[in-house]
Amino acid sequence: MKLNLYLNKLPLILPILILCLSSALFTKKASADIEGDLKKISLKLRCMTCQNQTIYDSDSDFSKDIKNIIKEKLTNNEEEKEIIDFLIQRYGEYIIFEPQMNVKNIFLWYFPFIILALSLVFLIFRIKKN
Amino acid sequence: MISLIGFGGLIFSLLCSIILIFIFFIQNKKYSETIFYYALYGSVISIIISFLALMFSYVSSDFSNYNVFQNSHSSKPLLYKITGTWGNHEGSMLLWLLIMTFYNLFFSFNKKLDDDLKKLTIFFQSSLYTCFVLFVLFTSNPFLSTSIEIKEGLGLNPILQDPALAIHPPMLYTGYVGFSLVLSLALAGLILNKIDIKWIKTTKNWTLFCWSMLTGGISLGSYWAYYELGWGGWWFWDPVENVSLMPWIAGLALVHTLMITQKEQLLKRWIVFLSILCFSLSVFGTFLVRSGILTSVHSFAADSSRGIFILILFLVITGFSFIIFIFKSTDSNKKLNLLFINKSSALIVNNIVMLVACITILLGTIYPIIIEVITNKRISVGAPYFNMTVLPILLPGFLLMSVAPALSWQSNRLPKFKNYLILFILMSILSSLITYFTHFNVWGFIGITLGLIVIGASTLSIFHNYAKYNFKQFFLRNNAFIAHIGVGIAILGVTCSSVFQTEHRRSLNIGESINIGKYSLRLEDTKILEKNNYQELLAYFSLYENDEILSKIKPSKRYYHVSKMITTEAGIYHHWLQDFYIVLGNQKDNKWDIKIYQNPLINFIWLGVMIMILSGLIGIRKK
Amino acid sequence: MARCNDNDIVWTYRNKKKMKKLLLSLPLIIIILISSFLLIYLLQKKDPNKPPSALLNENLPEINLVNLFNEEEILSNYNLKEKTILINFFASWCAPCKVEHPLFFDIKKKHPNLYLIGIDHKDIKEDALKYLNEEGNPYDYVGVDKKGSVGLDFGVFGLPETFLVNSSGKIIYKYLGPLTKKVFKNEIKPLLK
Repeated sequence: MKLNLYLNKLPLILPILILCLSSALFTKKASADIEGDLKKISLKLRCMTCQNQTIYDSDSDFSKDIKNIIKEKLTNNEEEKEIIDFLIQRYGEYIIFEPQMNVKNIFLWYFPFIILALSLVFLIFRIKKN
Repeated sequence: MISLIGFGGLIFSLLCSIILIFIFFIQNKKYSETIFYYALYGSVISIIISFLALMFSYVSSDFSNYNVFQNSHSSKPLLYKITGTWGNHEGSMLLWLLIMTFYNLFFSFNKKLDDDLKKLTIFFQSSLYTCFVLFVLFTSNPFLSTSIEIKEGLGLNPILQDPALAIHPPMLYTGYVGFSLVLSLALAGLILNKIDIKWIKTTKNWTLFCWSMLTGGISLGSYWAYYELGWGGWWFWDPVENVSLMPWIAGLALVHTLMITQKEQLLKRWIVFLSILCFSLSVFGTFLVRSGILTSVHSFAADSSRGIFILILFLVITGFSFIIFIFKSTDSNKKLNLLFINKSSALIVNNIVMLVACITILLGTIYPIIIEVITNKRISVGAPYFNMTVLPILLPGFLLMSVAPALSWQSNRLPKFKNYLILFILMSILSSLITYFTHFNVWGFIGITLGLIVIGASTLSIFHNYAKYNFKQFFLRNNAFIAHIGVGIAILGVTCSSVFQTEHRRSLNIGESINIGKYSLRLEDTKILEKNNYQELLAYFSLYENDEILSKIKPSKRYYHVSKMITTEAGIYHHWLQDFYIVLGNQKDNKWDIKIYQNPLINFIWLGVMIMILSGLIGIRKK
Repeated sequence: MARCNDNDIVWTYRNKKKMKKLLLSLPLIIIILISSFLLIYLLQKKDPNKPPSALLNENLPEINLVNLFNEEEILSNYNLKEKTILINFFASWCAPCKVEHPLFFDIKKKHPNLYLIGIDHKDIKEDALKYLNEEGNPYDYVGVDKKGSVGLDFGVFGLPETFLVNSSGKIIYKYLGPLTKKVFKNEIKPLLK
């Protein structure tokens, strides 16, 4: 019966509802913490003289220099995006582990979700047909 | 001399495989079958001899062998001389060959399959084996000689001198090299049109074994990374890690589909597709890692001629397999009964989620290469990308996993679902409370909720499933639920150790303490010790809980004489609730810079994974 | 209502079969596509440790280089208009720089119109002066980059690094590592039109 159909879906929907409610109650205000921001930013950046390590993880001279530059800019109240753009302008997108949202990377970011959505839609279509 | 034996073994093994392939086409003679199997045994014995020869060269520090010269040193401890055999590209390829041939051998003991299917599978496995022997002979020969007389070797990277990292390659290869047998089975089954219940059962058992071993291999690597690499991280989305994860995910989809459709014989085409996909991903991964095309923390010494050879090998193996797939695969006669939500649709969702996750990882790993070919700009695709794509994609899978084994084929009603509903609500509330009282984070909430729901629902299902049966039957009947409990535990571990990790940095003098909540850590002393091939500077810490001593923790720095490298070893105190993880930094004046990490519930990850592996192995026994 | 006849049934059946065959061939097509990209990449012999420069085809960054030999003299973009320039980042403490150093005399001799700038990166003035005294000075101008801020603007992360700037002020080439005769002949010389 129709009610059963909805009740069957509830176990899946309810936690999501609770999540939405809680996030409304508990949103934390971002605190101005330079060390924390430094960690956050340097975790996204690549140490150019190492083999696939982040600037946060690496102890190389290059990483130390970059960390100092980031710290200086954070103390000057620069935003994370400004700092990252500054570095990308000089070292290229290679230095950031998070692919930037631009024309050539759109496929990279959207393709997985598009095929997931398409396959789930196709599945629902087949279920309805049954 | 020993190298000659080794090389001879390799050549003889190749010859035997070629004989086996030839004799396969001469089926009707009386002696064909005998020669066929003797050729197989011959190739196994000769590759074992070859492998032992290389190992002997390592153990006896025979530097006339170029491979030993490049990768070993006489002062290395015996254990690492032995394991150094596969700690380099050429030696590890020899291990690859060994494992591939063992799978062929053990498969040949199968008595349940039809004779023609069995022989065709062995034929394909030997063909694959031949390809890889040729690869080793032409580009990765471990038996080359050093041209001049050498007294000492170049030593081994000290990072590789570690017990976990020593067993990691054999276990890993037993996993993804084993998928070669699954591919051979698929090809044989396709050509003879014998994808029947016996084929499914055999493939299911082999896939379960490979997948369990692969899980073990990957987790050993992660566990090693956890205690070795500096800040308690255990997964970095490094290309080499991604490359081992892809066959694992495909294998997981295959394992689920095989186990669930065992009796019904559905989705045959899909099963065959996945069987081909697993080893294709293994070979592709090997290409990415050994061609030098990607930067990675753990790539082998690269060589573009190797890269081109493996790429061609990949094209030949995969191309051939998929062509056979296109022309010979047939659909099952039975149609899936899809409802919202029953076992069939849950299985489909599982497959979709796994495949999309696998494709995403593949896309992320090779995207930089594609972009650089097209635009001559280099980008990086790292952890931020994968965390933001793969994790959300897996969420529907995790959610469904909580009730999926309890679903039925026929109806979309979940038996006793009111209990599940109550459970879900309770777990969500519990999770909100936990995150509210510790440190709120959206991912933390989602992870804990999921983990609790999966564990709770699976436990509930076991209770619903209760009937009087003995110990052995209990594990067999509830295997799926137990496996999912393992996953739930691992989810809790992954969530808490990443989201709720805390870091403290201090400069401490000897005798000084740092207080962290009810714990305190005191730097008691530092000492320098001389070991076999390194010098170690140890810092002794005492961990107190409410002024009662819990444990001593000893982070250290090691200086390896031969390679002149300094490594930092973390000091770890393991506990179910959290690990204390201390990293020794530099000394300034008389103070030591130290970093202390608290990793909550990290041991749940290893526990959860162990449950998954056990469950995978138990599944082999299931009828 | 249109009547469904046998022809229609056969037609949709054939279409369905085509779709199926297409779907089945999809993995193979994807594999061939991906492999071609990988093959091209391999054949181009790209070095994973040498990423292409972010400044390729971009304008020369703003520079104000103090002369190593004369604190009062400053070189800026204004002085470099319409010149073809080879910029070399070096330091006295950098061993590979010493290896490539003699090549620059050769380059200067064969291409007198090429303006050669040496930038002393993260170095001590006295050491640099001593180094150039001993090894000779092939550069038209030697600039000081004590803190490394000039290197930062050029995206330098390891020494030596060499940039070629054309007369329109755009960076058209970058080389990582010690320059060799072969590299200069095959890669830089053709760009010097």
